[in-house]
Amino acid sequence: MRAFFKYAVTRFLICLLVIFIGVTITFVIPRLIPGANPAEVVIRRLQMAGTYLPPESVEKMKEALLKLYGLEGSLFQQYLRFWKEFLRGNLGPSFASFPTPVIKLIATSLPWTVGLLALTTVVSWLSGTILGGIAGFRKRGLFMKILEIFANAVRPIPYYILALLLLILFAYVLRLLPTGGAYQIGLSPSLSWKYISSVIKHGLLPALSLIILGIGGWFLNMRNLVSAVLQEDFVDFAFLMKLDESVIFRFYTMKAALPPQLTGLALQLGMIFNGTIITEIVFNYPGLGTLIYTAIMQSDYNLVMGVTLFSIVAVAFATFLIDISLPLIDPRVQYSGSSV
Amino acid sequence: MSRVRVFLTAVLVLAALLVFAQQEVLPGIARNEVLIIEDPSGRSTNPGRFNLWGGGVSSWSTGLQQLCLGTLWYIDPDEGIEGEPWINLLAAEPPIYNDDYTKMTVRLRKGIYWSDGVPFTADDVVFTVETLKAHPEMTWGAYMQVNVEKVYKTDDYTVVFELKKPNGRFHTIFTVRWAACYIMPKHIFEKVDDVVAFDFNPPVGTGPYVLKSYDPNGYWFLWELRSDWERSDLGVVYGVKPGAKYVLYKGIASPEKKVMDQMAHELDIIHDLPPESAIALYKSNPYCVTWFDGWPWAHPDPTLPSIIMNHEQYPYNMKEVRWALTLAIDIVQVALQAYNGCATISPIHIPPTGLYPKWYFDKIEPWLKEFTIKVGNKEFKPYDPEIPVKIANAVKYAFGYDVPQDPNEIKKMVGYGWWKYAPDVAEELLKSVGFTKKGGKWYRPDGKPWKIHILCEAATRSVMTRAAVAIAEQWRKFGIDADIEAVEPSMLWQRMNYGQDPDTVYWAWCIETWGGHPDLFWFLESWHSEYYRPTGQTVVAKNPMRYKSEKIDKVIEDLRKTDFFKEIDKIIELGLEYVKVCVEDMPIIPVFSYNVFTVCDGYYWTGYPTAKNPYTNPVPNWGNTRFMFIKIQPTGRK
Repeated sequence: MRAFFKYAVTRFLICLLVIFIGVTITFVIPRLIPGANPAEVVIRRLQMAGTYLPPESVEKMKEALLKLYGLEGSLFQQYLRFWKEFLRGNLGPSFASFPTPVIKLIATSLPWTVGLLALTTVVSWLSGTILGGIAGFRKRGLFMKILEIFANAVRPIPYYILALLLLILFAYVLRLLPTGGAYQIGLSPSLSWKYISSVIKHGLLPALSLIILGIGGWFLNMRNLVSAVLQEDFVDFAFLMKLDESVIFRFYTMKAALPPQLTGLALQLGMIFNGTIITEIVFNYPGLGTLIYTAIMQSDYNLVMGVTLFSIVAVAFATFLIDISLPLIDPRVQYSGSSV
Repeated sequence: MSRVRVFLTAVLVLAALLVFAQQEVLPGIARNEVLIIEDPSGRSTNPGRFNLWGGGVSSWSTGLQQLCLGTLWYIDPDEGIEGEPWINLLAAEPPIYNDDYTKMTVRLRKGIYWSDGVPFTADDVVFTVETLKAHPEMTWGAYMQVNVEKVYKTDDYTVVFELKKPNGRFHTIFTVRWAACYIMPKHIFEKVDDVVAFDFNPPVGTGPYVLKSYDPNGYWFLWELRSDWERSDLGVVYGVKPGAKYVLYKGIASPEKKVMDQMAHELDIIHDLPPESAIALYKSNPYCVTWFDGWPWAHPDPTLPSIIMNHEQYPYNMKEVRWALTLAIDIVQVALQAYNGCATISPIHIPPTGLYPKWYFDKIEPWLKEFTIKVGNKEFKPYDPEIPVKIANAVKYAFGYDVPQDPNEIKKMVGYGWWKYAPDVAEELLKSVGFTKKGGKWYRPDGKPWKIHILCEAATRSVMTRAAVAIAEQWRKFGIDADIEAVEPSMLWQRMNYGQDPDTVYWAWCIETWGGHPDLFWFLESWHSEYYRPTGQTVVAKNPMRYKSEKIDKVIEDLRKTDFFKEIDKIIELGLEYVKVCVEDMPIIPVFSYNVFTVCDGYYWTGYPTAKNPYTNPVPNWGNTRFMFIKIQPTGRK
């Protein structure tokens, strides 16, 4: 127990250090890009769009905007100010959408991303892992062979193409599902069945595309893992003991093959905060992907910081949780310092 | 048993899909009442903010500047709704300046009401200017602070601006070319503590539509025709009811989706498409409406993509080098590769669009034909007036498009001539300034191999990337180690404005014109040496090539003295002078106008602007498209 506690504390401190380093890097990098000054970017956006800003007014506006955005002072002073505000839970305003708070913009997109990606990741993982486990255990079944061929065939298809194919088939040819959006145009978010069914209907195609592609990877990984486990002595021993096949499958092979899949799942869940920009583009689906992309393009430091922060924290904590929970799942994994 | 389960599951999934299967654009609204338009800005990250003055509005083209907010004047980039590009919208007439241009008087239209029923008066204009003047961080605030000494009304419909210094172009801040300073509703903003932070939601405008609803996720904005549309700016000026009861602006990022949506008659106006997609759509949709009904389809914007070289970067400080690069380009190939031959080319530093062919191109062409550059001891005439015909022939051969036979018709479609493809002359020019050619490769006078990276846009405008590839190919053929670097637009503009990239030229634009007025001051002002910024400092406005010319300074100073309304001939004369200086110096290499493949669907709506009826620019993110809405009427299809 002491070993576990020591191990968990060390891992937690490492987790905090990872978050600190990740946040610092995200703070510094955009500020080092020459010309990535949010005030200049705002002015350039106006000019690119065709808005007339006479030369005399440009520099005056730049000065005024820098003052407004609170971007005065050295990089270090800005960094200290950032931590001070951050520890108070304030991520500041978005520069490109000034004065809207970053947290408000993230709050609009986050539920869509988490809803879609958490669901599709878990569904793909569960289906891929179970089917892959069965396929690795029973190599001769026709259904499993078909699945294997399907998984191998789908995996190399670029996501954009697959998503478009599904869109064309279901939305334009069969006209069974909507062409895009998160819900019917003209509806207002509410708890009515009309709204909820519209959200489900609009989420089906993006979800299907992500599941089809996601399932293949998990399936193939698990099949290979189970095939490898089947070569282990303890599995041979179980067969020699004439244990029930389902017991061998569940407790000797699946359980032993699970840790790498679980690690993959935890990291994948951590990464969902990055969003899926291609899904969002193809299906006009709202999410963090387009938000962070736009933020990077507009040198919106605070928004980049805000979205990245979720990702850094999620990945760091997912890794931490996996580190401390794996020994509970697989007895072959030990906490450092504990006896075998 | 397991097979039965699989079958049953499949049936259930299909049944579930069928339960959901019902197509409707808007609940409770008939499709033929809604005009659906693409907003090229895509997803608006901050859709609940409509305060254009305060900034932070991620898209202006959600209908806000086209349907709702209005300002004093508009200059149409084409011929204008009544054949006159100058349009008095909230103003009753053009501005009246005093003799030394230190005072501008504006008479406003009577009878216009804000969408919430409050009358529009001089108080709104005065309030807008005073508010902006007090806030330089607001979009037009710095301009008002620099220029306006005092603004006041003399009666409810007359506003006087006293200016800090003579400025005969002051009115242009209130004149829409894509956008301009819109007028604030005083009765809304005067009650607000912080005019910058205020979201202005719902927006109140003088335009004929009001915001009905919008997507909190930023993908669509739905506008409804005002019940009192007669009291809106368009209603008062034209007295014609807009045809669409509703207008829906949708952000769609994927070009494939736009094409499929329009094929299904679910998208009426596509902002822009890659040429192949637009042509495919034109061929497959019998209701398709494009600017030209056939080749070259696209609408030429009054914007001039050019090869922009930083004159502070060696060797682009040498005129001979800039001219050699020009003559090493085969424009026919570039037009073919970039635009499927649908480009409107320009040999001069003015876009060949709107009314500019009449004002500038017809007048300068005789001079261009006689223009010579000195190559060694000889004089060389670089202008080739036959290029449009060559493009038409190449297009016919390469793509099989129907092209007219009459050279004058072709000229109207793809522009006047361009510079000859003369690599031999380019070679002589380069050798005259110390360049050497060994093994088919060019070396600079300092002995280094000549490398050029063309920095261009990636993905967002495929024609721009393709043109850069074509130009790099031409230069490689000529012996220069040329390649392209495609980046996101904001990165391109950022790097171009700083100008620090070694061995790099930029494929972008810094010349934009009114289209419907010959005055070049709009973009040219910032070319004056008083605004010059060296490499490493961001350019003030539109001089990323860091070009300095006493002759251009003189043209700008003379333009400042002209009257925008009364001295059209003088303005054109000075414009022609500018063109001549630029042709001599070739500070940037003009290539073609930015042609926009705006594709409209005539299934539910008719009356879109076209080359035959060029009453306005069809490109729907322009504020000027406001005038389209009274011309577009239902076809009657259900």
